[in-house]
Amino acid sequence: MGINTGVSGVRRNADAGQILIAVAGLLAGIGVAWIVSRAGGDRFNGSHLPFAVPVILLVGWSFIGGGLLYWRSRPDNHLWAVLIFQGFAWFGSILPSSQNPVLFTFGQFVYPWQYASGLYLILSFPSGRLRGGLDRVLVAITVCLVTVGNLVWLLFADPHRMMCPTCPANLLEVTRNDAVVVGVFYVFRPAGIVIALTGIGLLAVRWRRASRAQRHAVMPVAVAGVVAFCAGIAAFAARLAGMPGPNGFDAFAFYAGAAVPVAVLAVLVQRRLAQGAVAGLVVELGGPGPVADPREALSRALGDPSLALGYWFAAESRYVDRNGGPVELPAPDSGRRSTVVEREGQPVAVLIHDAALEHNAKLVDSVCAAAGLALENEQLAAELRARLVELQASRARLVEATDAERRRIERDLHDGTQQRLVSIAMSLGLVEAKLPADPERAKPIVAETRTALATALAELRDLTQGIYPTILTERGLPAALDELCSRSALTAHLRLFLDGRLPIPVETAAYYVVSEALTNAAKHAQASEVRVAARCADGILTVEVADDGVGGARNGTGSGLRGLADRVGALDGRLSVSSPPGQGTTLRAEFPCR
Amino acid sequence: MQIVVADDAVILREGLARLLREAGFEVAGLAADAGELLELVERVHPDVAIVDIRMPPTHTDEGLQAAKAIRERWPDVGILVLSQHVHAGYAVELLSAGTDGVGYLLKERVSDLDELASSVHRVGAGGSVLDPAVVSQLVGRRREADDPVKRLTEREREVLALMAEGRSNKAIAERLFVSEYTVEKHVGNIFTTLRLPVSPDDHRRVLAVVAYLNAQ
Repeated sequence: MGINTGVSGVRRNADAGQILIAVAGLLAGIGVAWIVSRAGGDRFNGSHLPFAVPVILLVGWSFIGGGLLYWRSRPDNHLWAVLIFQGFAWFGSILPSSQNPVLFTFGQFVYPWQYASGLYLILSFPSGRLRGGLDRVLVAITVCLVTVGNLVWLLFADPHRMMCPTCPANLLEVTRNDAVVVGVFYVFRPAGIVIALTGIGLLAVRWRRASRAQRHAVMPVAVAGVVAFCAGIAAFAARLAGMPGPNGFDAFAFYAGAAVPVAVLAVLVQRRLAQGAVAGLVVELGGPGPVADPREALSRALGDPSLALGYWFAAESRYVDRNGGPVELPAPDSGRRSTVVEREGQPVAVLIHDAALEHNAKLVDSVCAAAGLALENEQLAAELRARLVELQASRARLVEATDAERRRIERDLHDGTQQRLVSIAMSLGLVEAKLPADPERAKPIVAETRTALATALAELRDLTQGIYPTILTERGLPAALDELCSRSALTAHLRLFLDGRLPIPVETAAYYVVSEALTNAAKHAQASEVRVAARCADGILTVEVADDGVGGARNGTGSGLRGLADRVGALDGRLSVSSPPGQGTTLRAEFPCR
Repeated sequence: MQIVVADDAVILREGLARLLREAGFEVAGLAADAGELLELVERVHPDVAIVDIRMPPTHTDEGLQAAKAIRERWPDVGILVLSQHVHAGYAVELLSAGTDGVGYLLKERVSDLDELASSVHRVGAGGSVLDPAVVSQLVGRRREADDPVKRLTEREREVLALMAEGRSNKAIAERLFVSEYTVEKHVGNIFTTLRLPVSPDDHRRVLAVVAYLNAQ
């Protein structure tokens, strides 16, 4: 539950860079404000714009300040660089108001750059990465237009004719060529409309596909983006329609552009507030009395109603829900992500949340840290419930297995012993009928009857041995294992490290583990040899049966292994199967034996 | 008298056939399951079919179902059902469609050759046979204090059990070493106490008695 911090030297460099940028932004704002004030306060670029200076400062400083905040909280997300660039580009776009030819010309050159970075910002928010090919193409075209296209325009544009009558000289003007300048305008404006329309389309598609949490995270910026795109379209369309500029649509576009940084700041503030909610979470989860459900509190703190919680069930190395039911981790492309909460290197719980929260890892970290203790408590409870669920299932299986066993015994008795005894009774009836009149013919029937009786007794012996291995009660585990191995169809090597008798249930379970493993090895594994080992040390009885067969057996498959696992589990033991294909199968059971 | 035998265990099928031949019956065919039995009965139309209750494929009550099918399609073929378990319910089910030519015996009874022969003869002649173990289960079940069976004397209850087994008054008299007249008196008392309709027919009264015992 820690947040990674970089090397401190890197941190110091970053701190210095941030201070530098803050100072530069402050100075740039003051300079631009001064230029605009000198140009007439609420008039610049020839338009009448009330509150121009406060709006200019608000927008520029919001971008730069937002960028710095982003840099501090999410240095890995390059959105901060885009925001800072956007802030300076914005201040640069005001420079054409200057009467100084150098500032004026520079301003004319950088003036449209804000469109490119603004487009990048809106399309890449909040990850800082462009998501599709169309996004990249759109941004690339815009960058070309605002750099190369603008430069071409400047090379031939006469400021007094094309910009304003009172403007200073255009230092980049090589020669005045009105045809080229007008031609560039006729490319710029339709291109601007197409780009803005495509941008709106991309945002709409994204909105439709977004989850609730994702919408929640991007809503202000998306709305501001659409407003800015619309304003741009209106301004370009007005010019295309022949409206002389500067006009009211230009003014509308100016104010609409201000909405974007405000929206970015709003999202940042929202996140800060969400982190504030973590404090509430600490209070809520840390209070006296049981927590109703940590999921509710976590879901509120993270702003993700779809949040799911899984608790670590160490005994089976999987996650379970509050009631002990299974919890599946999300697939990588499912739009869901999981964040594991750990305690001393051991998983405690997993948060399964919307992928949008990835952009706010800091919040997730703080929420996990705050909820740690409550989650640990809940995990213990969930683990208990999971054990209970498992216990109920295994109890049901034991009952089922007992019934199946009884059915088998009944069938064996009915089809075997009972039938034989009836046939013996019939033979005796026959003898009784014959004896007085024809003793000679009765003799072979008596012999036949005796053979039948011997067969019946042998069958009965096998049957009783199958019901319960009597040697186990009479002689204990070593003798019983020895007999099992000598009866096995495979060559079995037995190694025993046992002294004295163990508790009867442990001996019985160990016997059945070996018996089942030998049967499986002979039946399914195509093995030729088996090694059987039983060792009791430090209060743990370990029984291991390893064959040299084909391997590939899986734990939990087949009622035989499942039944064994239940039997072993009932004694607080563990059954494990290792069966790599081609490398034989090893069945291993461990029980407490004191 | 022509007999067919159906049992999935070959050892019992053959053993039974040998016993029956020894007792002077003609064994007309052997069947290993209910399907074979029905074909066999259709083909040879025996006097009596001896049927094991539990047969493949389900090993539950195939024999009983086959017996009922035979009763429906060939009512003049006697049925002697053999079972390894005492199931009064099965017996009653079998008898409910009529007691003429029906028997239900535990398998182990076949060891007594005379008893087997007499049972087969009785069923073949249209009489009925119910295993004493089944009858004692019916008679001996726990009864309410006001049950009329409780008002029967010891002797009368003995007579009732033998009646349920399907025996005639004459056979009962021989069994109990009394005169047939005495048996008739007991039977009259039993019918009065249990308020059963008096029937002169030995076989019909079995059904009445069994139905009565089973209903309590």
